[in-house]
Amino acid sequence: MNAPNPALPPVLQLEQVTRNRAGRPAVRDLSLRLHAGQILGLLGVNGAGKSTTLSLIAGALVPDRGAIRLLGKDFLEQPELARQALGWLPEAAPLWPELTLREHLNAHGRLRGLTGIRLKEAGDAVLERLELKDLAQRLAGVLSQGQRQRLGLACALLHRPALLVLDEPANALDPVQVVALRNLLRELAAAGTAVILSTHQLSEVTAVCDRVAILHEGVLRYDEPLPADQHAALEKKFFDIALHGKAQAT
Amino acid sequence: MTLFAVTRLELRRLFVRPLGWTIAALALAELGWRFALLLQIFLLNQVRLAALPDGPGYTDLVAVRLYSSLITGSTLPFGVTELALLLVPLLTMSTLASERNSGTLPLLFSTGLSPSSILLGKYLAVLIWLTLWLLSVIVLPASVAHGVKLDWGMLGAATLGTFLALAVLAAIGVACSAFASHPAVAAVAAFMIGVALNCVNLGAQLAGVNIGFINWLAMSTHQENLLRGLVSSADVIWFLLAIIVALALGIRRLAADGERG
Repeated sequence: MNAPNPALPPVLQLEQVTRNRAGRPAVRDLSLRLHAGQILGLLGVNGAGKSTTLSLIAGALVPDRGAIRLLGKDFLEQPELARQALGWLPEAAPLWPELTLREHLNAHGRLRGLTGIRLKEAGDAVLERLELKDLAQRLAGVLSQGQRQRLGLACALLHRPALLVLDEPANALDPVQVVALRNLLRELAAAGTAVILSTHQLSEVTAVCDRVAILHEGVLRYDEPLPADQHAALEKKFFDIALHGKAQAT
Repeated sequence: MTLFAVTRLELRRLFVRPLGWTIAALALAELGWRFALLLQIFLLNQVRLAALPDGPGYTDLVAVRLYSSLITGSTLPFGVTELALLLVPLLTMSTLASERNSGTLPLLFSTGLSPSSILLGKYLAVLIWLTLWLLSVIVLPASVAHGVKLDWGMLGAATLGTFLALAVLAAIGVACSAFASHPAVAAVAAFMIGVALNCVNLGAQLAGVNIGFINWLAMSTHQENLLRGLVSSADVIWFLLAIIVALALGIRRLAADGERG
C-alpha cells in the first residue's frame, strides 16, 4: 500500500455525506479519506449505494448533508475544481454515438480546460496508452462494449486528474484488457493518482486495490487496508456483510 | 470558457447528425419554391402595381412574405416562421433529453459546469445553426436585388423579427428538452407551445374580439410590427422576455437534475 503523506491534504475527503433517493437514504453519513497514490475498492451488493457514492464524488449529484473536499477544498463551493482534479468513468461509459473517438476526446478535453497542442498531445497519449489509436476516426456508436469502455476510460484520463473515479471499469473487457487495465491503474497510482473503483468482482479488488471499503444499505460497514494475499479473508468479510449485514464499523 | 466548449460540442453534434441537414435541405427547398411563386406573382402584377401611388413593392410582396404566411396574409403556405414552428422543435429535442437518456448529462455536471452554462451553451449552438439557416434564406430575395428596388431597411427589420421569433422558439425547444425524459416528448411539447404562443390571439381575432392582453401575449403581434418594418423597443423587449423566461425555466429544471439525481 502507498503510505499517505501526512503533510498533504487527502485528495478526497467525505464528511458525513448523506443522500436520499426516492424518499430513502441511498448513502448515509458516509465519511471517507483517500490519499494520493491509493487505490480504493468500493464493494457492495446491488443497491448498496456504490454508484450513488461515486456520482456524489464526481459532482453529478449534490449531497443532502455533509461535505466533499477535493484536494482540501470544498468541492460543492468550488465545482470548477472538478475540471482539473477529477476524472470519472460512470457505469456503461455514456458516449455520444454520432461523434468519433477523437471528437470525444476533444470535447472532454475542452470541457476540462485543455486546448490547442496540449489537447492534441493528451488525446494522442491516451489513445496510444489504451490501444485505441487505430479507431480514432471511428464513430462511438459502432464500437464494441469493450471499446466503449476503453474510450470512456480514455476520456476520464485525458486531463491527468488527481482523482480517478471508476464505476465497474472492467465491465465488458476481455481477460487481456482486464490485465492491461490493472497495470494501468497500478501505473497511475505509482504516479500519485488516487483511484476509487466500484466493482462487483472481489478478484478485481484483490488484484489491484490497496484498500477496500464495503457499503451495505448506504452505510459504510468496512474500510481497511488490504494486505496482499487476502482474497479469502475479504471474501468472507464481504459475504458476512452482504448476507447477514454484520461487520464492525470502522 | 467552458460554456463555449458546450456550444462547440453541441454544434458538432448538430452538424454530424443527418437530421439537421435534412431539416435544412427540406426547408430551403420549400422556401425556394415559395420564393419562385411569390416572384412570379409579383412579376405578373408588376405593371398594375407600378400604377398605384405608394403601392407595395418587391420587398413587401416577395421578400417579407418569405418570412411568414400567417402574418403577411399570403395564400401560399409555410414561410420561415411557420416552418420554424415545426422544425425548431425537431432540432432542439435532443439537446438535453437525449443527454439525459444516454447518461451523458451527469458527465457534463461532473466537469463542474453549472446548469446555466450547460443550457446556455446548448442554446447558443442552436441559435448559431438557426442564424446560418436564416442567412441562407436571405440569399433568395437578395439574389435579385440588382434588378429590383429592395428596401434594405424593411428587409432588415423583417429579418430581425424573424430571427427573434426563431430565438424564442429555440429557447422554448431547449427548455422543453430540459424538462422531457425523451426527445419525442420534448419535440411535441415545444411544437404545441410554439403554435399556442404564435396563434393565441387568432381565435379572438376571428371572433372580432380585441383583447389587449391576449394580443400582447401572442408572438405574431410583435413579429407583425417588425415584418412591416416597424422596430419598436416594446416588441424587442417582448421577445427578450420570452427568451429569458423559457431559458430560466430550463435552467431551473436542469439544476433540479443535479439535486434530485
